[in-house]
Amino acid sequence: VWVPEIASEELLRCVHTEEYLNSFINGRINEQEQRRTGFPWSKGLVRRCRYETGGTLLAAEVALHRGLACSTAGGTHHAFPSFGSGFCLLNDLAVAAKYLISSSPGRKVLIVDLDVHQGDGTAFIFKEEPCVFTFSVHCGKNFPLRKQQSDLDVSVEDGLEDEEYLSTVEAHLPSVLEIFRPDVVLYDAGVDPHWEDELGRLRLTDQGLYRRDLYVMKTVVSRGVPVATVIGGGYSRDIDKLALRHSIVHRAATQVWRECGM
Amino acid sequence: MDEPECDDVLDDWFIESLKTYKDLYVYQLECPTKVIEWTSGRTVCVAGYGSSKNEILELRLPPKLFANENKGLCAERDFKVVHGGFTDGPVHCLKHVPGTRCVVSNDGRSSELQVWELGGEDSDVIRRTGSVAGRSVVSEGGSRIAARLSSQPQVLHGARSGDVQLTELTSGQPLYKLETDSADPLSSLQFVTDAVFLACCCNGNVYIADTRTAAAPQLSPPPVSSGESVLWWTDASSGSSCLDPTSCRIVRLSSSGQAVISDLRNQREAASQAQLDVQSHHCNLDDVTVSWAPALDGCIAVSGFSGAVQIYNTSVWRTELQEAQPLFQHRGHTVSSQPDDGVFVTSHVWHPERPRTLLSAASDGSVHVWDWVDQSAGS
Repeated sequence: VWVPEIASEELLRCVHTEEYLNSFINGRINEQEQRRTGFPWSKGLVRRCRYETGGTLLAAEVALHRGLACSTAGGTHHAFPSFGSGFCLLNDLAVAAKYLISSSPGRKVLIVDLDVHQGDGTAFIFKEEPCVFTFSVHCGKNFPLRKQQSDLDVSVEDGLEDEEYLSTVEAHLPSVLEIFRPDVVLYDAGVDPHWEDELGRLRLTDQGLYRRDLYVMKTVVSRGVPVATVIGGGYSRDIDKLALRHSIVHRAATQVWRECGM
Repeated sequence: MDEPECDDVLDDWFIESLKTYKDLYVYQLECPTKVIEWTSGRTVCVAGYGSSKNEILELRLPPKLFANENKGLCAERDFKVVHGGFTDGPVHCLKHVPGTRCVVSNDGRSSELQVWELGGEDSDVIRRTGSVAGRSVVSEGGSRIAARLSSQPQVLHGARSGDVQLTELTSGQPLYKLETDSADPLSSLQFVTDAVFLACCCNGNVYIADTRTAAAPQLSPPPVSSGESVLWWTDASSGSSCLDPTSCRIVRLSSSGQAVISDLRNQREAASQAQLDVQSHHCNLDDVTVSWAPALDGCIAVSGFSGAVQIYNTSVWRTELQEAQPLFQHRGHTVSSQPDDGVFVTSHVWHPERPRTLLSAASDGSVHVWDWVDQSAGS
């Protein structure tokens, strides 16, 4: 188990604008902007977001060394360079990906975002970046209504269940890996496709999420590509149930670790 | 350029709504309704108001709304059409007859009422089973309807104060006629007890009558209003809890936004009043509704002036006319429509038991059920 460092302003600046970072860190986000993010500003919130970003970056670095690493947070994919949105204030996946491609020229990063909401912030940030491929599977009717353009968007219908959902992922992931040939994968294992999720409009079961995570990690790892995971979104008033659901990816990772002799 | 901006507004409102509502579910009808009528604790009846054929539907509310304890376990968040049928004309007024599967409607053109059976478990068809003749043949603006609160299926109906009648549904027999010389167009009819009812007129007159006597009704004239030729809408606090009719509170709302609360026992003096924040330039005044909350003391809901439903807490109002700010505004219908469409709310109803749950319908066909959070409260 590793503990992350707080993401420095310099690190965050590789994705976010200086103006936004100054306002965000110093508490000058106006009320309208705060409403859009869903959070009232506080110092604690800023710290938490910065540590969260640090955590995703650490997971990516550990994955590069050990093949597989899981953060216990992360997936704030609705954050754009100059504003936050939908409970996301800093885009941790974007910061980690940017760091990875800058620290090793020519390195390619694939972001697999299976949160039920489109990773619109991430898609926007890497629209013109050939070294980062953004792949999002999301429910068309979920937030945001205004979609961005990922490198590959798969929009699914309401009510999709385990089998069809898994087939959808299986239909796209291998070919993306084959064509893009990433050096590292960042995987957003959001649990909001679960049928009990209060916001998500899909119908996956616990088993479905487990099979999904197992499939993604195994497919990537068996190609010799390191993968770092983040927990992504999940919305439920029952925190215990939700936490358990978020831990599915960690348990699937343990299984992959064992099976792949890592 | 316009489309993404609209989506942005809706996305922002969605995030905000996660905090401002405990529950919020939306449904889209093919054609808008101006009636929403409870047919059970979980079902409502709606119907179109187009000039010829319209759908009349019984909708079941999303089960997730009622899953108070284990919300996570109930995934079902959609409205469902459980019964449906067709009308020959528009539906301007619709009332459910308590204790039956029967609703009564009026098309706003004549005084005749249409009687419908909503269908049971075995059928999904809403059938027309008969009609009730109005007291007078000629009628502009259509009849108002009120169903008697007791178990006898009887309806009170009429378009003007001079043609109000209580009719037994099964036989079509008139049981009572309101005897008055006036012919004021009605904005509503409402029972406050099993036998006592109010005939509320657009000019602000409220007649209080008792179906058990032939005596002339009492008249409560409109409040003194600042505007000329304003229209008035009225609601009396919940009939079933109003055992003493003379202690019933009524709210009267004018088309200029003046709201006056008074006691039936003491009709001449305003108990309290307020100037509401309504913009009346865009509205379809036919569709203004004011209603007391059945389970939230002193609160009223107002709609029809715009695309919002406003909730006011009248218990803080005073006898002098002052401006009042809403306790809550449901802006979901405006937010989800194009800015130039001039969407307005056509109807709203409170849930009979859940304190903060309302249904609202708008001119774009949207139907929302929402449970709002009282942010002024300490919870």
